[in-house]
Amino acid sequence: MNLRNQIATLMRYELRDELRGGEVGFVVLPFGVVALLTIPMAIGIDTPLLQRIGPGIYWSIILLFGVLVTQRHSSLAPPATRDMLRLAGADPVARFAATTLATFLLLLAFEVGAGFATMALYDPALDSWWWLAALLPLTAAGLSMIGTIAGNIASGLEARTSLVPLIVVPIAVPLLLGAAQATEGLRVGAGILRWLLLLAIVDTVLAVAGVLTARSLEESAA
Amino acid sequence: MKARPLDIAAVGTLATAFVAGLVVPPDAVQGDLQRIMYVHVPSAWLAYLSFTVTLVASVAYLRWRSLRWDRIAGAAAEVGVVFTGLALATGMIWGKPVWGVWWTWDARLVLTAVMFFVYLGYLALRRSFDDPELRAHRSAVLGVVAVLQIPIVHFSVTWWRGLHQPPTVLRPDNPQIDAPLLFALLMSVAAFTVVFAALVKRRSEITAKEDEALRFQEAGATAGSDITAPTIGGGSS
Repeated sequence: MNLRNQIATLMRYELRDELRGGEVGFVVLPFGVVALLTIPMAIGIDTPLLQRIGPGIYWSIILLFGVLVTQRHSSLAPPATRDMLRLAGADPVARFAATTLATFLLLLAFEVGAGFATMALYDPALDSWWWLAALLPLTAAGLSMIGTIAGNIASGLEARTSLVPLIVVPIAVPLLLGAAQATEGLRVGAGILRWLLLLAIVDTVLAVAGVLTARSLEESAA
Repeated sequence: MKARPLDIAAVGTLATAFVAGLVVPPDAVQGDLQRIMYVHVPSAWLAYLSFTVTLVASVAYLRWRSLRWDRIAGAAAEVGVVFTGLALATGMIWGKPVWGVWWTWDARLVLTAVMFFVYLGYLALRRSFDDPELRAHRSAVLGVVAVLQIPIVHFSVTWWRGLHQPPTVLRPDNPQIDAPLLFALLMSVAAFTVVFAALVKRRSEITAKEDEALRFQEAGATAGSDITAPTIGGGSS
């Protein structure tokens, strides 16, 4: 089986599991919407302020709750499954790419769902909102790659569930800053190309790091 | 533990830098308060240096698979976390009287704090493994990925308009600092760098001993296990 087929097969396996369990759609997304609902209760009902800070809150929610989406793959791949895939000759790079792509699609769905909730609850005024078609995938791609790498690094460890967020969240801060600054640019009508470029650079570096280290992490699988 | 040339050099340069920092005239605007820069700036420099050493040693481990590189990477990250914490703390102590606040949401400050947590995560990961080989493999990958932060932190002052002052010494044009103050600053940077080298060397040696002790323990060896009971008449007991 060539690399592309391996990626497609493994990605289908991960997405099928999500379709059966519905963890992202029925657990993580509602949890994120609850967070979007509770923050104004703590800040106070100042509609213009909430309108202004809504996009920033949205990106914080995406980063923090996105970690839950990125973490699901490490529970999907217990040592026995990993051993089986290794024995079956699955390429570590294909496994990295498949997990990243599956997580990317789920994160994108989460971003769109939480985005609609933010629009409804905070009513942010965004000029040129079609730029989101580039912004959302770039952020989801970066976060999914960081999550996949962190999940592989922490796989097999007892402290995995607390370790992965500690690794992912600080490393994903450049993504949060790029996305938040770009959204602020859309709000005030400024150019956002340099922020998109920053996100694209971070994504590229992560993709290269992920591919180059996939085999090394496979060797050290517990 | 025997003192070695590097340790002696570290103590010597640190003492010289301390004296230099005290004898140079105070800053025309900030007075003696500016002297905290002789600790703050070298600490921030060491933070960058440490994490770059962690990157280089991680790449070297992935290339040559020698645990020596892993120990250097871990030791540099530990020292880096300590000096990043020191840079943040001294920055806050300086910031209160100068800026009027302990903390401000300046891009460089926030991202330096983020960098601190990235490497705390790296150290937490290292502590999660008992097996040195497994620890080395996994943390080397994180050591490479984590370095993404460093250029972003460094250039943050240029990208975002913040409160933190832009580079003073490493400017494309001439340095905006008086010669005696620059001398004291460079002395403390040199001293901190030698201290860094000494600490990393010592910490790497301690980790090597810990790994060796672990191997000894796993082999089931205990003190005195090589000594057998004496036998009478040459027979076995």
